Amino acid sequence: MSNRLLGVIACAILIQGVALAQQTHPDLSGVWSYAIDRAPAALKKEQNGKVTLQKIDQSARHGSVGSVGGVLPSTPKPSYKPEFQARVKELSDHESKTDPVFYCGKPGVPRIGPPRKIVQLPNEMIFLYEDISGDPYRIIPTDGRPHRARANPSHYGDSVGKWDGDVLVVDARNFVDDTWFGEDGYIHSDAMRVIERIWKDGENLMWQATVEDPKMLTAPWTMPARLTKPSAEALEESPKCVETDGPRLLNDDHHLQR
Amino acid sequence: MRHKIAAAACAVLTLVAIASLEAHHSPSAIFDMAKHIAVTGTLTRIDWINPHIVLAVEARGDGGKIDQWTFQSNPPSWYRSVGLARADLAKAIGQTVTVGGVRARDGTLYGYMDKIKLPDGTSLELVNGAESK
Repeated sequence: MSNRLLGVIACAILIQGVALAQQTHPDLSGVWSYAIDRAPAALKKEQNGKVTLQKIDQSARHGSVGSVGGVLPSTPKPSYKPEFQARVKELSDHESKTDPVFYCGKPGVPRIGPPRKIVQLPNEMIFLYEDISGDPYRIIPTDGRPHRARANPSHYGDSVGKWDGDVLVVDARNFVDDTWFGEDGYIHSDAMRVIERIWKDGENLMWQATVEDPKMLTAPWTMPARLTKPSAEALEESPKCVETDGPRLLNDDHHLQR
Repeated sequence: MRHKIAAAACAVLTLVAIASLEAHHSPSAIFDMAKHIAVTGTLTRIDWINPHIVLAVEARGDGGKIDQWTFQSNPPSWYRSVGLARADLAKAIGQTVTVGGVRARDGTLYGYMDKIKLPDGTSLELVNGAESK
């Protein structure tokens, strides 16, 4: 075999190796802690004189993001154009009666937060969620294809993903306009676009979203990042949602929930 | 006794309030957090539904008439995360239980359950995580 042929083979192997390395991304697959805040209470059980206490581990849902790399600067609230500010405040002030999520409505993206389960395949990502409004899924191509041209608007939108180094960047758009993208009356238009960034920090999953809505916001809003720990709790079909408290509400009291 | 009632009311307020984190209004918009009640009767139904599980209890009220009580409690996913399944409560259907909780402000036979005593003597109670440390 000539030196020239050996050189060609070596180059081919090298090029293939580089290509393979470029295709190697962090594996985001796994089951992650429940996306919705749970009461940090405990269940006390007394049986035959024996007392046991089963607590909720809130840290699985609210890990500290202080020292995690890759987190984008964020602000606590979005900035609405002046003509929408009164409407947003009114909705927020009466959230217990106006928030669709209180009445079994779909939270949509980004309000649903990080997925409960990720299945990472070579050409697509599958996100599975648990939510009281149902258990949505998202199938996100990562093979470079564009957004679907004739997709109908939906609560979870039309998504495509790409890798930016070790970060999966999901571009979601084509939403219906009847969800809130956060508490406090965060309404949006059909022009909303959401960019989610998802990456690993050790064994944990990081998730951070940016909301763009040129019709209603003065600037894109990057939300605070969330750290979610791995979970051993299997996904379970969410029971049907039947809200009956609405007519009983005697005031506007409500609490943060998502 | 007064102290005990106040402490219980406080725990319920905290518990039910934080329970609403799952996606709901404040319980104080419906329930009188200072009015803690205990109802003993026959457990007739358990609905394992969102946003709150629901229990129905038939209890003998004033004058001997049968009162139909309805209690809601934390969401199914909350109970799942503390290891309690529907079957753990459903086994008591048709039997006598005592349900503790707070009562609706509108005076109806409606409450938020924070404690239940099952026929076999087992007691299950939502307690404040901070206090239980």
